[in-house]
Amino acid sequence: MAEQDRTEEYRRIYSLNLGPQHPSTHGVLRILLDLDGEYIVKADPIIGYGHRGHEKMGENRQYKQFLPNSSRLDYLSGMIFNHGFVLAVEKLVGIEVPERAQYIRVIASELNRISSHLLWFGTYVMDLGGFTPFLYAFDDREHILDILDSVSGSRLTYSYCRFGGVTRDIDRNFIDMTRAFLKRMESRWADYDDLVTKNIIFIHRTRNVGAINPELARQFGVTGPNLRACGVSFDVRRSEPYEVYDRLDFEVPTGSNGDALDRYYVRFKEMQQSCRIIDQALDLLPGGDFIAKKVPPKLSPPKGEVYAAFESARGLSAFYLVSDGSPGPYRCHIRVPSFGNLNVLNEVLPGTLVADAISILGSIDVVIPEIDR
Amino acid sequence: MKVKELEAIMLEKFPDAPLSRDETGMTGALWSIIVPISGIRDATKAFWSAGFFLESITALDFEDTFELVYHFNCYEPKSRLVVRVLCGHDQVPPSICDIFRGAGWLEREVHDFFGISFSGNTDMRPLLLPEDADYHPLRKTFGKVSAYHKREEIYG
Amino acid sequence: MAKKVREPGEPVVQFALLDDILNLARANSLWPMTFGLACCAIEMMAAGASRFDLDRFGAGVFRPSPRQSDVMIVAGTIAKKMAPAIQMLWDQMPNPKWCIAMGNCAISGGPFEYEEQYAIVPGAHLLVPVDIVIPGCPPRPEALIQGLLALEDKITGGEDRNLLRRFKRVSEA
Repeated sequence: MAEQDRTEEYRRIYSLNLGPQHPSTHGVLRILLDLDGEYIVKADPIIGYGHRGHEKMGENRQYKQFLPNSSRLDYLSGMIFNHGFVLAVEKLVGIEVPERAQYIRVIASELNRISSHLLWFGTYVMDLGGFTPFLYAFDDREHILDILDSVSGSRLTYSYCRFGGVTRDIDRNFIDMTRAFLKRMESRWADYDDLVTKNIIFIHRTRNVGAINPELARQFGVTGPNLRACGVSFDVRRSEPYEVYDRLDFEVPTGSNGDALDRYYVRFKEMQQSCRIIDQALDLLPGGDFIAKKVPPKLSPPKGEVYAAFESARGLSAFYLVSDGSPGPYRCHIRVPSFGNLNVLNEVLPGTLVADAISILGSIDVVIPEIDR
Repeated sequence: MKVKELEAIMLEKFPDAPLSRDETGMTGALWSIIVPISGIRDATKAFWSAGFFLESITALDFEDTFELVYHFNCYEPKSRLVVRVLCGHDQVPPSICDIFRGAGWLEREVHDFFGISFSGNTDMRPLLLPEDADYHPLRKTFGKVSAYHKREEIYG
Repeated sequence: MAKKVREPGEPVVQFALLDDILNLARANSLWPMTFGLACCAIEMMAAGASRFDLDRFGAGVFRPSPRQSDVMIVAGTIAKKMAPAIQMLWDQMPNPKWCIAMGNCAISGGPFEYEEQYAIVPGAHLLVPVDIVIPGCPPRPEALIQGLLALEDKITGGEDRNLLRRFKRVSEA
């Protein structure tokens, strides 16, 4: 009888490949699903399809030559990663950044955070089947890209932050465009609320789907909005403030259940808080230099290591550089938040339907080239 | 304060382990301790009970040794701590993937890049490299390398 | 009388005017396959979104399945692990099919190519026959649109065959 049962189960469970090319455009992710009908029995994410060798490149490049790489890790928060790398090297070498440059970098990073969340918002609802918010979100995102394009020259992968400050100063045009954007978004939040937040189909597809409890989050090192949706208020901008974040007043939104709907609410409110940060930063923007004087073109940092943590759109990221005194790092390791965020799916997906798996995967907000480095 | 309690626990478990403090904030951690290979599991259990989470596991390749670096952090402000393990090029450190389940993937990545096997981790398939890869890219004996040092040249 | 050598894939029976009309129809309704690998995928999505609408060129219907698409836009870096998948997807696409290499990584490896790079395939032309290349890192959506129009021009035969031609190549202007 047991033998018959075993073959019965063996016949019932079949393997299905989700990816590496699939329409939920998160990059190239492959999840090997073992399915019993529509229910997932085992989920095994297989990554590496976007591995480009950033860490080995870091060892063969000087610090200034690694700047373009830093943006291409998590290309949706390219400015934030650029900012983080520059922070790490400045910490290592001991460069003092003028205050105006710090404010400019914070404004640019927060604009990037809003654009990343907007893109997540558009593609997540598109994954669930609603095409309209994608167009609205990308329209708003184009305004941000115009602003950042006018000052850095690039729309997606920036090398705007340099050691000691930024490449170019912001002008009246930038400030006017940013203020106009903030004013425009004030009315857009209500539009998004009507379109998505109160939509009964959206609520049914996200409520109680993919709930992560804080214990599981701690096991896997989940950070960012995924962790905050579980109720744990942990944000690097609050726990280890860098640049001028300790002078700015903003809330860190948290959820309670840890399900997909809470993750959506947390990111939505984070966008509004970022607008608040930008507003304050523009009010407090001082005059002065936009880059430190006397930054040597060839850096000769002391021997040792540096670990600079920052809050990217997906969670706690960090650059870990080990220096041997030469103009390039001896070891360049990048801690990315999507690594733990994706890893937790090993335990969250079993027991759910395939359609719920798409909803959970979208709500986790992973960027695969960041994991694959 | 969790960090102070943990410091006391660590010094009790490993009385002659070198502990270096960092007041400047450059390493991002308050202190860093070098534990022997056999002690990493006890240390990790202490961190788990104290409410910490595992931020990252990485390795450094020196001419005389490998160095595994474990970064732990907790949800309180400025509480990052570092645990280091010096393991030779042929040694096999124990895995911590049953204490922190997230360590499974991190150890697979270290194995991919450096060839360090972890005993007790049943799943050691390649994570980032192709399934049939037999090379370990981040070793200083692979590919284009600008420098290869001994550990004391950098850390003294 | 010397036999005319046929190009591979060229049909035996040729109707000149019908071919022109068919090519015009194919060019103005190219259905791309969603094949974003890395950063260029975001600019491809932005090209399909509201400001740089690709739908007005007939190319806004991104099909996830290779069996329903005409053109494969390789957008992003090709890692060695991904290369067999690209080969398989290209083989699964039915003829007539075209390929656009978008971004520096798909053309030649981009910023990730250096001697002794172990992880990437330096260029999509090593795996699939590429018709149009669009340089940039990442190329602006306008560049993708220009590349798509250049592909349409290539399909319809340029000024020799296309009576309704609107596209002017840079070299002709």
